Amino acid sequence: MSSHSNHNADIHDEVNYDPTVWVPHTHSHGTKDIWLKFWILLGLTVIDVAFYFVMPPSMARNIIFIALGIVKAIYIVGTFMHMKHEKLGFASMIIIPMMFIIFFIAWMLFEGNFWGTI
Amino acid sequence: MSTQTIAQSSTWGGGNSPFKVSYGKLMMWVFLLSDAFTFSSLLTAYGAIRYSFSSTDTFIEDVTPAKLEADGIPMRDGRIDFTFADNLIEKYTPDAAAHTSHGAEAHADHTDYFVQKMGETGIFSESHWPSPDLVFNHFPGFGVIDFHGMHLPLIFVSLMTLILILSSVTMVLAVEAGQRADKDAVSKWMLWTIIGGFMFLGCQAWEWTQFIGAGSRMYSNPYGPPTFAALFFGVTGFHGFHVFSGVVLNIIIYVNNLMGTYEKRGHYEMVEKVGLYWHFVDLVWVFVFTFFYLI
Repeated sequence: MSSHSNHNADIHDEVNYDPTVWVPHTHSHGTKDIWLKFWILLGLTVIDVAFYFVMPPSMARNIIFIALGIVKAIYIVGTFMHMKHEKLGFASMIIIPMMFIIFFIAWMLFEGNFWGTI
Repeated sequence: MSTQTIAQSSTWGGGNSPFKVSYGKLMMWVFLLSDAFTFSSLLTAYGAIRYSFSSTDTFIEDVTPAKLEADGIPMRDGRIDFTFADNLIEKYTPDAAAHTSHGAEAHADHTDYFVQKMGETGIFSESHWPSPDLVFNHFPGFGVIDFHGMHLPLIFVSLMTLILILSSVTMVLAVEAGQRADKDAVSKWMLWTIIGGFMFLGCQAWEWTQFIGAGSRMYSNPYGPPTFAALFFGVTGFHGFHVFSGVVLNIIIYVNNLMGTYEKRGHYEMVEKVGLYWHFVDLVWVFVFTFFYLI
Protein backbone atom coordinates (compact mmCIF):
# COMPACT_ATOMS: atom_id res chain seq x y z
CA MET A 1 0.00 0.00 0.00
CA SER A 2 1.53 3.28 -1.09
CA SER A 3 1.93 5.88 1.61
CA HIS A 4 0.08 9.17 1.66
CA SER A 5 1.94 11.96 -0.12
CA ASN A 6 2.36 14.44 2.67
CA HIS A 7 4.27 17.67 2.22
CA ASN A 8 2.86 19.37 5.31
CA ALA A 9 3.04 17.51 8.65
CA ASP A 10 0.68 19.95 10.43
CA ILE A 11 -2.42 18.71 8.63
CA HIS A 12 -2.26 15.37 10.50
CA ASP A 13 -0.95 16.67 13.85
CA GLU A 14 -3.17 15.57 16.76
CA VAL A 15 -1.07 17.25 19.45
CA ASN A 16 -1.09 20.72 17.96
CA TYR A 17 -4.59 20.16 16.57
CA ASP A 18 -5.73 22.86 14.13
CA PRO A 19 -9.37 22.22 13.10
CA THR A 20 -9.10 24.48 10.05
CA VAL A 21 -6.54 22.26 8.30
CA TRP A 22 -6.58 18.91 10.16
CA VAL A 23 -7.41 15.82 8.13
CA PRO A 24 -7.00 12.19 9.20
CA HIS A 25 -4.52 9.88 7.48
CA THR A 26 -6.27 8.06 4.67
CA HIS A 27 -5.56 4.73 3.07
CA SER A 28 -7.18 2.92 0.18
CA HIS A 29 -9.44 -0.07 0.81
CA GLY A 30 -8.88 -1.22 -2.77
CA THR A 31 -11.28 -1.35 -5.69
CA LYS A 32 -12.50 -4.95 -5.35
CA ASP A 33 -15.25 -4.07 -2.85
CA ILE A 34 -16.38 -1.12 -5.01
CA TRP A 35 -16.93 -3.29 -8.06
CA LEU A 36 -18.63 -5.98 -5.96
CA LYS A 37 -21.11 -3.38 -4.69
CA PHE A 38 -21.65 -2.14 -8.25
CA TRP A 39 -22.71 -5.64 -9.37
CA ILE A 40 -24.93 -5.99 -6.30
CA LEU A 41 -26.63 -2.64 -7.01
CA LEU A 42 -27.08 -3.59 -10.66
CA GLY A 43 -28.50 -6.97 -9.63
CA LEU A 44 -30.96 -5.37 -7.20
CA THR A 45 -32.13 -2.98 -9.94
CA VAL A 46 -32.63 -5.93 -12.29
CA ILE A 47 -34.67 -7.66 -9.54
CA ASP A 48 -36.75 -4.45 -9.25
CA VAL A 49 -37.45 -4.48 -12.98
CA ALA A 50 -38.26 -8.23 -12.89
CA PHE A 51 -40.81 -7.74 -10.07
CA TYR A 52 -42.28 -4.77 -11.94
CA PHE A 53 -43.07 -6.87 -15.00
CA VAL A 54 -43.87 -10.23 -13.36
CA MET A 55 -45.91 -9.24 -10.29
CA PRO A 56 -49.16 -7.27 -10.62
CA PRO A 57 -49.31 -4.00 -8.65
CA SER A 58 -50.09 -4.54 -4.96
CA MET A 59 -49.05 -3.30 -1.53
CA ALA A 60 -46.86 -6.42 -1.19
CA ARG A 61 -45.01 -5.43 -4.37
CA ASN A 62 -44.60 -1.86 -3.07
CA ILE A 63 -43.06 -3.20 0.13
CA ILE A 64 -40.63 -5.33 -1.92
CA PHE A 65 -39.58 -2.21 -3.90
CA ILE A 66 -39.11 -0.14 -0.74
CA ALA A 67 -37.13 -2.94 0.95
CA LEU A 68 -34.86 -3.28 -2.11
CA GLY A 69 -34.46 0.53 -2.11
CA ILE A 70 -33.31 0.45 1.51
CA VAL A 71 -30.85 -2.38 0.75
CA LYS A 72 -29.44 -0.29 -2.14
CA ALA A 73 -29.21 2.73 0.17
CA ILE A 74 -27.23 0.67 2.72
CA TYR A 75 -24.67 -0.32 0.06
CA ILE A 76 -24.39 3.24 -1.31
CA VAL A 77 -23.97 4.83 2.13
CA GLY A 78 -21.83 2.01 3.57
CA THR A 79 -19.37 1.42 0.74
CA PHE A 80 -19.56 4.34 -1.71
CA MET A 81 -19.90 6.97 1.02
CA HIS A 82 -17.36 5.10 3.15
CA MET A 83 -19.65 5.03 6.19
CA LYS A 84 -18.73 1.50 7.25
CA HIS A 85 -15.13 2.65 7.75
CA GLU A 86 -16.11 5.65 9.92
CA LYS A 87 -16.21 5.68 13.72
CA LEU A 88 -19.41 4.20 15.19
CA GLY A 89 -20.33 7.44 16.97
CA PHE A 90 -20.08 9.43 13.76
CA ALA A 91 -22.06 6.88 11.74
CA SER A 92 -24.76 6.82 14.44
CA MET A 93 -25.02 10.62 14.41
CA ILE A 94 -25.93 10.53 10.71
CA ILE A 95 -27.82 7.23 10.43
CA ILE A 96 -30.11 7.38 13.49
CA PRO A 97 -31.96 10.57 12.41
CA MET A 98 -32.54 8.92 9.00
CA MET A 99 -34.64 6.25 10.73
CA PHE A 100 -37.25 8.97 11.34
CA ILE A 101 -37.48 9.51 7.58
CA ILE A 102 -38.39 5.87 6.89
CA PHE A 103 -40.97 5.96 9.68
CA PHE A 104 -42.42 9.26 8.43
CA ILE A 105 -42.79 8.06 4.83
CA ALA A 106 -44.56 4.87 5.90
CA TRP A 107 -46.82 6.87 8.21
CA MET A 108 -47.88 9.33 5.51
CA LEU A 109 -48.46 6.60 2.92
CA PHE A 110 -51.13 5.11 5.19
CA GLU A 111 -52.43 8.55 6.20
CA GLY A 112 -53.02 9.45 2.54
CA ASN A 113 -55.42 6.51 2.25
CA PHE A 114 -57.94 8.32 4.43
CA TRP A 115 -57.88 11.72 2.71
CA GLY A 116 -61.14 12.47 0.99
CA THR A 117 -62.88 9.49 2.60
CA ILE A 118 -63.88 11.11 5.89
CA MET B 1 2.31 6.60 20.60
CA SER B 2 2.21 9.65 22.82
CA THR B 3 -0.53 11.29 20.76
CA GLN B 4 -2.84 8.35 21.46
CA THR B 5 -2.78 8.80 25.25
CA ILE B 6 -3.53 12.52 24.94
CA ALA B 7 -6.45 11.84 22.59
CA GLN B 8 -7.85 9.12 24.86
CA SER B 9 -7.68 11.15 28.04
CA SER B 10 -9.70 14.02 26.60
CA THR B 11 -11.75 12.69 23.70
CA TRP B 12 -14.54 15.24 24.16
CA GLY B 13 -12.43 17.85 25.91
CA GLY B 14 -11.49 19.74 22.78
CA GLY B 15 -8.17 19.91 21.00
CA ASN B 16 -8.82 16.88 18.79
CA SER B 17 -11.37 15.35 16.47
CA PRO B 18 -13.36 12.72 18.44
CA PHE B 19 -14.94 11.33 15.27
CA LYS B 20 -11.61 11.42 13.40
CA VAL B 21 -13.14 13.37 10.55
CA SER B 22 -12.13 16.78 9.28
CA TYR B 23 -14.34 19.80 9.79
CA GLY B 24 -15.26 20.02 6.09
CA LYS B 25 -16.26 16.38 5.82
CA LEU B 26 -18.30 16.54 9.02
CA MET B 27 -20.17 19.57 7.70
CA MET B 28 -20.78 17.87 4.34
CA TRP B 29 -22.42 14.97 6.19
CA VAL B 30 -24.55 17.34 8.28
CA PHE B 31 -25.63 19.12 5.10
CA LEU B 32 -26.47 15.80 3.45
CA LEU B 33 -28.56 14.80 6.47
CA SER B 34 -30.55 18.04 6.12
CA ASP B 35 -30.88 17.45 2.38
CA ALA B 36 -32.13 13.92 3.08
CA PHE B 37 -34.89 15.45 5.20
CA THR B 38 -35.75 17.85 2.35
CA PHE B 39 -36.07 15.06 -0.20
CA SER B 40 -37.93 12.81 2.19
CA SER B 41 -40.52 15.53 2.80
CA LEU B 42 -40.97 15.89 -0.97
CA LEU B 43 -41.35 12.13 -1.40
CA THR B 44 -43.59 11.90 1.65
CA ALA B 45 -45.87 14.60 0.22
CA TYR B 46 -45.90 12.67 -3.06
CA GLY B 47 -46.86 9.41 -1.35
CA ALA B 48 -49.55 10.98 0.81
CA ILE B 49 -51.17 12.91 -2.06
CA ARG B 50 -50.93 9.96 -4.43
CA TYR B 51 -52.59 7.58 -1.97
CA SER B 52 -55.42 10.03 -1.36
CA PHE B 53 -56.49 9.20 -4.94
CA SER B 54 -57.56 5.86 -6.32
CA SER B 55 -55.17 4.53 -8.94
CA THR B 56 -55.69 3.69 -12.59
CA ASP B 57 -54.78 0.09 -11.73
CA THR B 58 -57.88 -0.42 -9.57
CA PHE B 59 -59.95 1.51 -12.10
CA ILE B 60 -58.86 -0.76 -14.95
CA GLU B 61 -59.69 -3.84 -12.84
CA ASP B 62 -63.21 -2.50 -12.19
CA VAL B 63 -63.95 -1.83 -15.86
CA THR B 64 -64.89 -4.96 -17.78
CA PRO B 65 -62.57 -5.95 -20.65
CA ALA B 66 -65.60 -5.97 -22.97
CA LYS B 67 -66.26 -2.30 -22.28
CA LEU B 68 -62.63 -1.36 -22.90
CA GLU B 69 -62.62 -3.28 -26.15
CA ALA B 70 -65.82 -1.50 -27.22
CA ASP B 71 -64.12 1.81 -26.46
CA GLY B 72 -61.37 0.95 -28.93
CA ILE B 73 -58.65 -0.01 -26.44
CA PRO B 74 -56.52 -2.85 -27.83
CA MET B 75 -56.95 -5.91 -25.57
CA ARG B 76 -55.05 -9.14 -25.10
CA ASP B 77 -55.96 -11.95 -22.66
CA GLY B 78 -58.46 -9.78 -20.82
CA ARG B 79 -55.92 -7.03 -20.12
CA ILE B 80 -55.05 -3.87 -22.01
CA ASP B 81 -52.60 -4.72 -24.76
CA PHE B 82 -50.00 -2.02 -24.45
CA THR B 83 -47.72 -3.52 -27.05
CA PHE B 84 -49.74 -1.82 -29.72
CA ALA B 85 -46.77 -0.46 -31.64
CA ASP B 86 -48.01 -2.17 -34.80
CA ASN B 87 -51.41 -0.51 -34.53
CA LEU B 88 -49.73 2.86 -34.26
CA ILE B 89 -47.37 2.34 -37.14
CA GLU B 90 -50.23 1.25 -39.41
CA LYS B 91 -52.56 3.97 -38.23
CA TYR B 92 -50.29 6.95 -38.44
CA THR B 93 -47.36 6.10 -40.65
CA PRO B 94 -48.58 3.76 -43.41
CA ASP B 95 -45.53 4.83 -45.41
CA ALA B 96 -42.67 2.80 -43.93
CA ALA B 97 -40.09 5.32 -45.16
CA ALA B 98 -41.86 8.11 -43.30
CA HIS B 99 -41.75 6.05 -40.13
CA THR B 100 -38.02 5.40 -40.26
CA SER B 101 -37.44 9.16 -40.27
CA HIS B 102 -39.03 9.07 -36.78
CA GLY B 103 -39.10 12.83 -36.52
CA ALA B 104 -40.93 14.78 -33.87
CA GLU B 105 -44.20 14.42 -35.82
CA ALA B 106 -44.25 10.63 -35.74
CA HIS B 107 -43.77 10.76 -32.02
CA ALA B 108 -46.40 13.43 -31.50
CA ASP B 109 -48.82 11.03 -33.22
CA HIS B 110 -48.07 8.34 -30.68
CA THR B 111 -48.48 10.69 -27.74
CA ASP B 112 -51.69 12.17 -29.09
CA TYR B 113 -53.17 8.80 -29.94
CA PHE B 114 -52.30 7.05 -26.72
CA VAL B 115 -53.04 9.88 -24.30
CA GLN B 116 -56.21 10.83 -26.15
CA LYS B 117 -57.55 7.25 -26.17
CA MET B 118 -56.80 6.83 -22.48
CA GLY B 119 -58.59 10.10 -21.75
CA GLU B 120 -61.63 9.14 -23.85
CA THR B 121 -62.16 5.89 -21.93
CA GLY B 122 -61.83 7.64 -18.59
CA ILE B 123 -58.66 5.78 -17.58
CA PHE B 124 -56.82 9.10 -17.52
CA SER B 125 -59.01 11.36 -15.42
CA GLU B 126 -58.58 13.85 -12.60
CA SER B 127 -59.99 11.35 -10.12
CA HIS B 128 -57.40 8.57 -10.67
CA TRP B 129 -53.69 8.74 -10.07
CA PRO B 130 -52.08 7.45 -13.30
CA SER B 131 -49.95 4.33 -13.02
CA PRO B 132 -46.36 5.20 -14.06
CA ASP B 133 -46.71 2.24 -16.41
CA LEU B 134 -49.06 4.30 -18.59
CA VAL B 135 -47.14 7.60 -18.46
CA PHE B 136 -43.41 6.90 -18.67
CA ASN B 137 -43.46 4.26 -21.38
CA HIS B 138 -41.31 5.92 -24.04
CA PHE B 139 -37.85 5.13 -25.27
CA PRO B 140 -35.94 7.26 -27.78
CA GLY B 141 -35.11 5.94 -31.24
CA PHE B 142 -31.54 5.49 -32.41
CA GLY B 143 -31.20 5.47 -36.19
CA VAL B 144 -32.12 2.01 -37.47
CA ILE B 145 -33.38 0.84 -34.07
CA ASP B 146 -36.63 2.69 -33.56
CA PHE B 147 -38.51 2.42 -30.28
CA HIS B 148 -41.00 5.17 -31.03
CA GLY B 149 -44.59 4.18 -30.49
CA MET B 150 -43.68 1.08 -28.49
CA HIS B 151 -44.95 0.54 -24.97
CA LEU B 152 -41.75 0.24 -22.94
CA PRO B 153 -42.46 1.21 -19.34
CA LEU B 154 -39.56 1.50 -16.90
CA ILE B 155 -36.91 0.72 -19.53
CA PHE B 156 -35.68 4.27 -20.09
CA VAL B 157 -35.63 5.12 -16.41
CA SER B 158 -33.73 1.87 -15.69
CA LEU B 159 -31.11 3.05 -18.17
CA MET B 160 -30.92 6.38 -16.29
CA THR B 161 -30.48 4.44 -13.04
CA LEU B 162 -27.66 2.40 -14.57
CA ILE B 163 -25.92 5.59 -15.76
CA LEU B 164 -26.13 7.16 -12.30
CA ILE B 165 -24.92 4.02 -10.49
CA LEU B 166 -21.98 3.76 -12.92
CA SER B 167 -21.08 7.43 -12.37
CA SER B 168 -21.20 6.76 -8.63
CA VAL B 169 -18.73 3.90 -9.14
CA THR B 170 -16.35 6.10 -11.16
CA MET B 171 -16.64 8.76 -8.43
CA VAL B 172 -15.71 6.32 -5.67
CA LEU B 173 -12.80 5.12 -7.84
CA ALA B 174 -11.64 8.77 -8.06
CA VAL B 175 -11.81 8.99 -4.25
CA GLU B 176 -9.84 5.75 -3.96
CA ALA B 177 -7.22 7.13 -6.36
CA GLY B 178 -7.04 10.27 -4.19
CA GLN B 179 -6.35 8.13 -1.12
CA ARG B 180 -3.34 6.75 -2.99
CA ALA B 181 -2.43 10.34 -4.08
CA ASP B 182 -2.55 9.18 -7.70
CA LYS B 183 -3.24 12.47 -9.48
CA ASP B 184 -3.64 11.04 -13.00
CA ALA B 185 -6.10 8.36 -11.87
CA VAL B 186 -8.16 11.01 -10.05
CA SER B 187 -8.34 13.01 -13.31
CA LYS B 188 -9.37 9.96 -15.31
CA TRP B 189 -12.17 8.86 -12.97
CA MET B 190 -13.42 12.42 -12.38
CA LEU B 191 -13.74 12.87 -16.14
CA TRP B 192 -15.84 9.68 -16.41
CA THR B 193 -18.01 10.89 -13.54
CA ILE B 194 -18.60 14.23 -15.28
CA ILE B 195 -19.53 12.41 -18.51
CA GLY B 196 -21.96 10.19 -16.57
CA GLY B 197 -23.52 13.27 -14.99
CA PHE B 198 -24.08 14.93 -18.36
CA MET B 199 -25.55 11.69 -19.76
CA PHE B 200 -28.02 11.52 -16.89
CA LEU B 201 -28.97 15.19 -17.34
CA GLY B 202 -29.50 14.57 -21.05
CA CYS B 203 -31.83 11.66 -20.26
CA GLN B 204 -33.69 13.81 -17.74
CA ALA B 205 -34.11 16.54 -20.37
CA TRP B 206 -35.51 14.01 -22.85
CA GLU B 207 -37.91 12.65 -20.24
CA TRP B 208 -39.17 16.17 -19.46
CA THR B 209 -39.51 16.94 -23.18
CA GLN B 210 -41.79 13.91 -23.62
CA PHE B 211 -43.82 14.81 -20.57
CA ILE B 212 -44.25 18.46 -21.55
CA GLY B 213 -44.79 17.51 -25.20
CA ALA B 214 -47.81 15.42 -24.17
CA GLY B 215 -49.34 18.57 -22.68
CA SER B 216 -48.18 18.43 -19.04
CA ARG B 217 -47.78 21.74 -17.24
CA MET B 218 -47.27 22.71 -13.61
CA TYR B 219 -51.01 23.06 -12.98
CA SER B 220 -52.58 20.68 -15.49
CA ASN B 221 -51.77 17.48 -17.34
CA PRO B 222 -53.59 15.00 -19.56
CA TYR B 223 -52.72 12.00 -17.37
CA GLY B 224 -54.48 12.61 -14.09
CA PRO B 225 -54.82 14.98 -11.14
CA PRO B 226 -52.98 18.34 -11.54
CA THR B 227 -50.75 17.51 -8.56
CA PHE B 228 -49.36 14.51 -10.48
CA ALA B 229 -47.40 16.70 -12.92
CA ALA B 230 -46.68 19.35 -10.27
CA LEU B 231 -45.01 16.72 -8.06
CA PHE B 232 -43.19 15.14 -11.00
CA PHE B 233 -41.73 18.51 -12.01
CA GLY B 234 -41.04 19.43 -8.40
CA VAL B 235 -39.26 16.28 -7.29
CA THR B 236 -37.40 15.28 -10.46
CA GLY B 237 -36.60 18.96 -11.04
CA PHE B 238 -35.19 19.34 -7.56
CA HIS B 239 -33.19 16.14 -7.99
CA GLY B 240 -32.07 17.18 -11.50
CA PHE B 241 -30.82 20.50 -10.15
CA HIS B 242 -28.84 18.61 -7.53
CA VAL B 243 -27.29 16.52 -10.33
CA PHE B 244 -26.48 19.72 -12.22
CA SER B 245 -24.87 21.27 -9.12
CA GLY B 246 -22.94 18.02 -8.63
CA VAL B 247 -21.62 18.13 -12.20
CA VAL B 248 -20.48 21.75 -11.67
CA LEU B 249 -18.70 20.76 -8.42
CA ASN B 250 -17.14 17.74 -10.15
CA ILE B 251 -15.80 20.00 -12.94
CA ILE B 252 -14.29 22.35 -10.34
CA ILE B 253 -12.58 19.40 -8.62
CA TYR B 254 -11.39 18.05 -11.97
CA VAL B 255 -9.83 21.39 -12.95
CA ASN B 256 -8.30 21.90 -9.48
CA ASN B 257 -6.75 18.44 -9.68
CA LEU B 258 -5.31 19.16 -13.13
CA MET B 259 -3.75 22.35 -11.74
CA GLY B 260 -2.15 20.32 -8.95
CA THR B 261 -4.07 21.99 -6.09
CA TYR B 262 -4.49 18.77 -4.10
CA GLU B 263 -0.97 17.56 -4.82
CA LYS B 264 0.34 20.79 -3.24
CA ARG B 265 -2.13 20.59 -0.33
CA GLY B 266 -0.90 17.09 0.52
CA HIS B 267 -4.30 15.41 0.54
CA TYR B 268 -7.23 14.77 -1.81
CA GLU B 269 -10.06 15.13 0.70
CA MET B 270 -11.95 17.61 -1.52
CA VAL B 271 -12.50 14.72 -3.95
CA GLU B 272 -14.01 12.70 -1.12
CA LYS B 273 -16.24 15.55 0.09
CA VAL B 274 -17.66 16.27 -3.36
CA GLY B 275 -17.88 12.50 -3.83
CA LEU B 276 -20.17 12.31 -0.79
CA TYR B 277 -22.46 14.84 -2.43
CA TRP B 278 -22.43 12.92 -5.70
CA HIS B 279 -23.28 9.61 -4.00
CA PHE B 280 -26.09 11.34 -2.15
CA VAL B 281 -27.57 12.40 -5.51
CA ASP B 282 -27.43 8.72 -6.52
CA LEU B 283 -29.03 7.74 -3.21
CA VAL B 284 -31.92 10.16 -3.74
CA TRP B 285 -32.40 8.78 -7.24
CA VAL B 286 -32.81 5.26 -5.80
CA PHE B 287 -35.87 6.54 -3.93
CA VAL B 288 -37.20 8.74 -6.75
CA PHE B 289 -36.95 5.63 -8.95
CA THR B 290 -38.77 3.57 -6.31
CA PHE B 291 -41.60 5.98 -5.53
CA PHE B 292 -42.18 7.63 -8.93
CA TYR B 293 -41.55 4.80 -11.36
CA LEU B 294 -41.73 1.43 -9.64
CA ILE B 295 -44.67 1.93 -7.29
